[in-house]
Amino acid sequence: MNYSLITLELLAALLGLVVLVADLWVSPTVRRSLGLGLAAALCCLLAFAIGSLAPQSGSAFSGMFVVDDLARYFKGFFLLAGLAVVLMASEFAPRLGAGLSEFFALTVFALVGMLFAASANDLGLLFVSLELVTVTFYVLNSFQRTRLASLEAGVKYLILGGVSSAFMVFGIALVFGMANSTNFNVLAAKQKELAGSAVFLVGLLLILVGLGFKIAAVPLQMWAPDVYQGSPAPATAFLAIGSKAAGFVLLIRLFVGALPQITAMWQHLFVAMAAATILYGSLCAIPQRNLKRLMGYSSIANAGYLLLGLVASSYTGTSAGPTAMLIYLGGYAFTVLAAFAVISALANHVEGDDIGGLSGLGQRSPLLAAGLTTAIVSLAGIPPMAGFFGKVLLIQGVLAAAPGHPELYALIAVAVFGVVLSLYYYFGVIRAIYWGGQSANLSTIPVALPTRILLGACVVGILVLGVFPQGLVKLADQAVAGLARPAATAAPVKAAH
Amino acid sequence: MEHAAAAAAAAQHAVESGSKVQDLAWAILVLPLVMAFGTAVFTPRDRMLSAAMNIGGVVVAFLLSFTLFCVFGGQSVDATPFHWLPVAGLDARIGLHLDALSTLMLLVVTGVASLVMIYSTGYMHDDRSYSRFFSTLSLFVFSMLGIVLADNLLMLFVFWELVGVSSYLLIGFWYEKPSAGDASKKAFLTNRIGDFGFMLGILVVWSLAGTLDIAALKEKLVANPALLGPWAGLAGLLIFMGAMGKSAQFPLHVWLPDAMEGPTPVSALIHAATMVAAGVYMLCRVFFLYTAAPGWPAVLGVLDVVSAASIITCIGGFTALFAAVIAVQQDDIKRILAYSTLSQLGLMVMAVGLGAKTGDASASMYHLVTHAGFKAMLFLGAGSVIHACHHEQDIWKMGGLRTRMPRTFWTFLIGTAALAGLPPLSGFYSKDEILAVALEANPIFFGVGVLVTVLTTFYMSRLLLVAFLGKPRGEGADHAHESPSSMTVPLLVLAIPSVMVAWLPIGGFLAHHFQPGHAAHGGDILFGPFNHNPIAAFFGLGAAIFGFSLAYSLYGNGPAADPLSPRLGLLAQAMRHRFYIDDIYDGLVVPLHNLLSQVADTIDRWLIAGLAVRGLAGVVEIAGRALRLVQTGSIQTYAFLLTASVLLIVLLALK
Repeated sequence: MNYSLITLELLAALLGLVVLVADLWVSPTVRRSLGLGLAAALCCLLAFAIGSLAPQSGSAFSGMFVVDDLARYFKGFFLLAGLAVVLMASEFAPRLGAGLSEFFALTVFALVGMLFAASANDLGLLFVSLELVTVTFYVLNSFQRTRLASLEAGVKYLILGGVSSAFMVFGIALVFGMANSTNFNVLAAKQKELAGSAVFLVGLLLILVGLGFKIAAVPLQMWAPDVYQGSPAPATAFLAIGSKAAGFVLLIRLFVGALPQITAMWQHLFVAMAAATILYGSLCAIPQRNLKRLMGYSSIANAGYLLLGLVASSYTGTSAGPTAMLIYLGGYAFTVLAAFAVISALANHVEGDDIGGLSGLGQRSPLLAAGLTTAIVSLAGIPPMAGFFGKVLLIQGVLAAAPGHPELYALIAVAVFGVVLSLYYYFGVIRAIYWGGQSANLSTIPVALPTRILLGACVVGILVLGVFPQGLVKLADQAVAGLARPAATAAPVKAAH
Repeated sequence: MEHAAAAAAAAQHAVESGSKVQDLAWAILVLPLVMAFGTAVFTPRDRMLSAAMNIGGVVVAFLLSFTLFCVFGGQSVDATPFHWLPVAGLDARIGLHLDALSTLMLLVVTGVASLVMIYSTGYMHDDRSYSRFFSTLSLFVFSMLGIVLADNLLMLFVFWELVGVSSYLLIGFWYEKPSAGDASKKAFLTNRIGDFGFMLGILVVWSLAGTLDIAALKEKLVANPALLGPWAGLAGLLIFMGAMGKSAQFPLHVWLPDAMEGPTPVSALIHAATMVAAGVYMLCRVFFLYTAAPGWPAVLGVLDVVSAASIITCIGGFTALFAAVIAVQQDDIKRILAYSTLSQLGLMVMAVGLGAKTGDASASMYHLVTHAGFKAMLFLGAGSVIHACHHEQDIWKMGGLRTRMPRTFWTFLIGTAALAGLPPLSGFYSKDEILAVALEANPIFFGVGVLVTVLTTFYMSRLLLVAFLGKPRGEGADHAHESPSSMTVPLLVLAIPSVMVAWLPIGGFLAHHFQPGHAAHGGDILFGPFNHNPIAAFFGLGAAIFGFSLAYSLYGNGPAADPLSPRLGLLAQAMRHRFYIDDIYDGLVVPLHNLLSQVADTIDRWLIAGLAVRGLAGVVEIAGRALRLVQTGSIQTYAFLLTASVLLIVLLALK
């Protein structure tokens, strides 16, 4: 038993408690600077997580918790996202009203859930870590108590999240009933015999439903547009990045890493889900006029693209698909964070999230305009932005599996069609920024330094990952390589050195 | 243990991908882009900082270019190429190539650009878009360096277009002037015609040779001269079309005189020294295409008697003569220089064509380099004059500037003498090479060369005598005084290469590039031309003296109006109207073009946009709106749909 493996999670949880307690001594006037302090602390945690002091690879708690390259990749990812969200929230603070430090603390607790999810190697830990994330989001989403839309978002997420959690926990029960274990390694070892058991498969499908809900894949996407629209911008950003990525890391660990044989049985299910998700997100986004709701649909469409990686791996079993997913997520994080950093910064100066409110932004704040434009262009998948490279890899992964499977060619056609559709609605945003017609208000929008830095970092990230993707490719390759386990042995995952 | 291993691996990696000296080329290329971008984004309102950043960027690029030149000389090396998207099956490679041509050209581009930028701090001092000017200049320098360094035709083409765009931005810099807007459009569109041919040429080469890498292409062509078969001539001509656009060769020359609407430093940098030289440079880069076995497709059987190179020679020779004749009757100081540039570019293109026989285009490249120096100096001198005369450009309203602007006058005099080809100034040596090549290859073009020299000396002497000597004929000239030193110092610096070149073996250096076995004949040093090819040298010198005496006899006494115009009568009219070429284009090409665009517009509006695009968009839009109905916002519906979809998934997976 090696307790030192969870040092990072413990430190993060401690940080959340410290923020809560510190609130008692921090006067309300300087409360926003609490966010900066927290950001600095998260920077230290990030340095710890990627530095040489970070826990070595291994597993703890009877194989329930693993640290490997995949976990490390996602821990870095979540910490970066959390850091960005905290900075965004400091800019957004006037809109959050009282209880700013609670918002920060809850963000950190959600982060802790995500960090655990990155290491979860057991259905129990999977459920608990996801619930930690979800429960904190119930509060985060409805944080603007005086805004009806925010409350509505919170309630919807609460009820629908509750339903999906119910399905998932029921699924876990069924799986445990058949396999007599919740450990991924045990499940992996037994998958051949369990594949014939309908009860086991139903249980697993229900777990898939729970994870599909987190990533907002069709047909479990209903909540996303409403919740994205209503929630405070920083919470939405964290939902779009952190919560989604938590869903994906668990999907990868469970369905690609542990149960490849079961995944291979469900090829058509994954193809249908990916295609429907891409189409639904792209088509619904077209008539949207609300920027956050548009991001909600865009988030659905992007979940569809990410599922392409799962499809590829269900056909070929190679690591190309998951690697592409990791790379796509890396670029997607910078992109979405840049977009939401702009939305957060705008919230204090522009009423509502209507796309029309962006008109004149090119003059009012060239920085915000340029940041949002870069993000949008990357989302649309135009080179040399990060979004382009990720999409290429995902589609390439499917293409490699396609010979002999006509449905995959159809899926690629759908993906390309979705990209074309997305150009239409994404460029509507760019048009609003620069050619949005006469705007009554042309006063300059002041942008605080932390947001400037955040935005600059995101734009640099988008460009660097698009032009020099080699570094990220290497990291992702390494992370996915650790997943491969010899079939029929339940040996704990070891990182190869 | 692990850490030690990792460190060792990292060290190994560093050695393998270790930076090499030639990788400085990347810095040279990227620096101006960074500065252009930085200025546009961060310092659009800080004039001083913008100027300092951009000048600094280009000066550092010049110093780095000089370092590379000293390290590698004429050696042929590649900088570490950049592989974008190095994933299975995907490899977009961007490579930089250094050899005698590109290192020399790097020096020219960054050197002239640095001086022009420094000069601009004075010339553009009162302009309100000061920062935009510098940032666009840097963007231009970046694009131009891309052409110079490109190791494959595709990359060259991309930067070629970037040069077109930045030139468009700079000609139309004073966009509030309608004439500047028109001129920028004219330049861009005329260039597009040439670029279209260039692109087709690249496609032909690619489909036949299967590579666009210049070095690989050369290797293949050397191994198999008949590689392009019957398409060799056509590919050569199509690629030449690109040069025709950028280097303003007849009949695509019309944009260059109009481009003088841009600020004068722009004219000096782009329309005298660099962009217009890009065409000639590109021809020298793919010179091996023209020395390969000529051939034509059956349809063009008529052309069997000529090669692409001889057509290029004719076009170049014609442009040289034609533009020189027009220059004789121009009154606008910048237009005289513009036609002079056209004429000199014609000579360079002619020299490329003639060189194809001997496999040596060094004369052309040599003239390009010397011309860049003194023509930039002449343009900057003209700018200094215009600046001093309160934006008066008519030489007949100037006069007597010699005493009022001594520095400008002396540098202008050196430039004129260099352009006319007087030893020991640079123009003499490079023009002598061209004349020598022409004499060997084809006496007719030798005649053209000598005639162009007479005309060149004539119109330049006319300009000098009318604008700088005699008495002031206008208000502006009367009150003119010397420009600030930010403008005159670059002039003086630019005079140095014009004087120094006589002692530098640039011609031999370039000849070595084209014919590695060829020992430098030293023909370009001081008195070399007279030993090496006395006929060419004496004819060149004689033509210059003849042209000057002719001009002196007409303009030496300070006439108030051009005494030549009444003597030439109708011819003078035609020369003033540029032989009506622009009017012919207006009368013929423009209506035809309008007709075509009408047809295209109809097709686009009704068939493509109406049926295909709008139809599809309509269907998509309806689908989107329909799906939106599902998203009711009612949580009961959502919960129901969620449960239903769970059943759906289970059924779908277990069916």
